[in-house]
Amino acid sequence: MLFEFDSDQRLWQKTIHEVLVKECPPALIRGIADEGADPAPLWRVYADLGWTELTEPSEAVELAIVLEELGWATDPTPYLATMTWFTPLAPGVADGGQTGSAVLDGVSARRDRDGWVLSGVARHVLDGDRADRLAVVTDAGVFAVPAADVRATRVDVFDPTLHIAEVSLPGVRVGDDARTGADPRAARDLALTGLALTIVGACRRVLELTLDHVRTREQFGAPIGSFQAVKHKAVDMHVALERARALAYFAALTIAADDPRRRLAASMAKAAAGECQSVVFRNGLQLFGAMGFTWENDLQFALKRAVAGELLLGGAAEHRALIAEEYRAAHV
Amino acid sequence: MQLTFDADVERFRAEFAAFLDANLPSEAETGERAYSSAHVPEWARRWQRLLFDSGWLLPGNPPEFGGRNASILEQYVHLEELDRRRIYHSFNPQGLGIIAASLLSFGSEEQKRRWAVPILRVEITAALGMSEPGAGSDLASLRTRAVLDGDHFVVNGQKIWTSGAHDADVLLTFVRTDPDAPKHKGISVLLIPTDTPGVTRRPFGSLIDRDDVDFNEVFFDDVRVPAENLVGALNNGWHVANGSLGHERTLLWLSFALRLEELARDFRPVDALDRDAYARLVMDAQALRLLGSAALARAARGEQDVAALSVLKLLGSEAVQKASEQAMESAGVAALEHPGMTAPYAHLNLEAFSAGWFERYARSFAGTIAGGTSEIQRTIVAERVLGLPRS
Ligand SMILES: Cc1cc2nc3c(=O)[nH]c(=O)nc-3n(C[C@H](O)[C@H](O)[C@H](O)COP(=O)(O)OP(=O)(O)OC[C@H]3O[C@@H](n4cnc5c(N)ncnc54)[C@H](O)[C@@H]3O)c2cc1C
Repeated sequence: MLFEFDSDQRLWQKTIHEVLVKECPPALIRGIADEGADPAPLWRVYADLGWTELTEPSEAVELAIVLEELGWATDPTPYLATMTWFTPLAPGVADGGQTGSAVLDGVSARRDRDGWVLSGVARHVLDGDRADRLAVVTDAGVFAVPAADVRATRVDVFDPTLHIAEVSLPGVRVGDDARTGADPRAARDLALTGLALTIVGACRRVLELTLDHVRTREQFGAPIGSFQAVKHKAVDMHVALERARALAYFAALTIAADDPRRRLAASMAKAAAGECQSVVFRNGLQLFGAMGFTWENDLQFALKRAVAGELLLGGAAEHRALIAEEYRAAHV
Repeated sequence: MQLTFDADVERFRAEFAAFLDANLPSEAETGERAYSSAHVPEWARRWQRLLFDSGWLLPGNPPEFGGRNASILEQYVHLEELDRRRIYHSFNPQGLGIIAASLLSFGSEEQKRRWAVPILRVEITAALGMSEPGAGSDLASLRTRAVLDGDHFVVNGQKIWTSGAHDADVLLTFVRTDPDAPKHKGISVLLIPTDTPGVTRRPFGSLIDRDDVDFNEVFFDDVRVPAENLVGALNNGWHVANGSLGHERTLLWLSFALRLEELARDFRPVDALDRDAYARLVMDAQALRLLGSAALARAARGEQDVAALSVLKLLGSEAVQKASEQAMESAGVAALEHPGMTAPYAHLNLEAFSAGWFERYARSFAGTIAGGTSEIQRTIVAERVLGLPRS
């Protein structure tokens, strides 16, 4: 195994990063959080640059690179939901400019003479309130449903630029042609990997901000980053991040190659990202002192995105239970 | 990024695997055990010699030094194949991995012929004399003195922790040759045969068992060492020290990954908490391989990234420690047994088979203490990878 970006991938990452530094600066995030600015123009930038066309599984590593950078930038658009929740469940349904998300549980499908009737309520749906289309997972298969047919209410959450909604389907009628034929089990892997990369990107941002802070903040006549207790905390953040990042890209690579380890790899990615955010949040906020404890400090955005990612689609402990089971079933 | 090696590397792997299948010592031959890291049973000497003569001992070396000029990726799959069968690379690991390697990098042609080749063919064994009672993490403060007297150095002082010294024929010894120079600039390296008059070795037990005797104190009392035994230039020992340990580091992480994978095979999780720890172990093993393979790819291009290897050592050694502690806990009272049986029977690696869980846990501290402690590694990573200011 050779686990390194090739030169095209390195260039791709650099390109994405530069676009985000310019188009998605902290001031934009703050404008959305504090003044309710609209992130839609940013979404159109992504679409114009072709980022929304990375829908083939073989492009999973390139998509992963975008997702990590978007995590770093605390992306305020529905990109993650569209590319990793909706698309794998409804391949080919949306065109480049459209947004999507998925309703993963809580909905049942009943068949009648005219087609299907979908009913139920799903809580905590990522971008459920602003996606153009929803992929609805039921026991009878996955259905693509236009947003206009469902009722969605945004829920208040601690991450100010994250959209989480309660979605209800009060007997939505759809035809057979709405069934996408996707396998939710396979789709899950990309959704988990996407969240893992988001967390990894956010953690990378927290580490960068923390390193800048400890290099410049002085106490006792010296930069606090020269104190060994501070250094060692920063290193623990770095090691956790390296580990989580490696496992996240490994998961992307197994998806691109349709490798049989993809299910295990996706859970490992999600669990490692969760463990990473735990260390990075704890040490990052601690090393910032009271300065990190303010609304004004941009550190909050990345911190919150990292924790939010941990809370979605099963936390680290839940995935570790799965890993132990999968791994022992396969190897022991 | 790719999940598999290219076909030429896999061909290399297959060739070595076929060699192993055809030549591995049988169970009947391998009865005699090793007592220390420089005691090599006769059968193991024959085996290592066969590897050397066939170019399979250190495939990255040229043929005259036991190799076949293999690439770094080929060296990697070579170690994987050894481990898959739970075969030791050598029963004199410091001799092979540090001392001979240092001689091949820094020694004269004569020293390579006279010392490195015999160490690699286990005609003799070697031990590493770096640490002293007053010089552990702060190795550069070492005080063992060597004074040039005609064509000999006269050595006085003491080493400690010298693994296997009591069974070794020669010590690679770090000595102070210029007491007035800044501490990193007055160190030199000498090959000191252990039968030289004035060398006294006092082996002592480890915490694992009174009879687990590998550590030594070594005393030097007016020991006369031929000047031709100086390795590298006079007062350039710090450079040799970094190089010696550097050799070990490129693939050191792999030994932790392999140990983690062994733990994944031997650890029997009982309850949900064990399974939780087990999952972390599986993740650590996978992450270490991923990060290690990226480091290998860099090394294959000739990029030296010593500080990034510290990340791998930290991650690997601490993961092994956590996992072996958890495996011990999960074994419950059965883990009290010493020696115990915690690994599948493997006739080329009986030590692992007969190590109880406590022993496996306790031995993991060699990983976090020797070769630069975890605390020292953290400081290195903070300063050289993260760019934090020195204190
Ligand atoms: C199994 C084993 C085999 C060994 N074999 C050999 C051998 O063959 N040859 C040989 O020469 N040596 C050998 N050693 C010795 C090894 O190299 C030393 O143990 C190591 O360098 C650490 O030194 P020390 O034990 O004196 O610990 P110390 O340096 O005294 O450290 C004790 C504690 O203090 C911490 N500490 C020290 N300095 C700092 C600092 N600046 N900042 C923060 N924390 C610090 C350390 O991290 C550690 O936790 C072996 C050791 C072991 C455990």
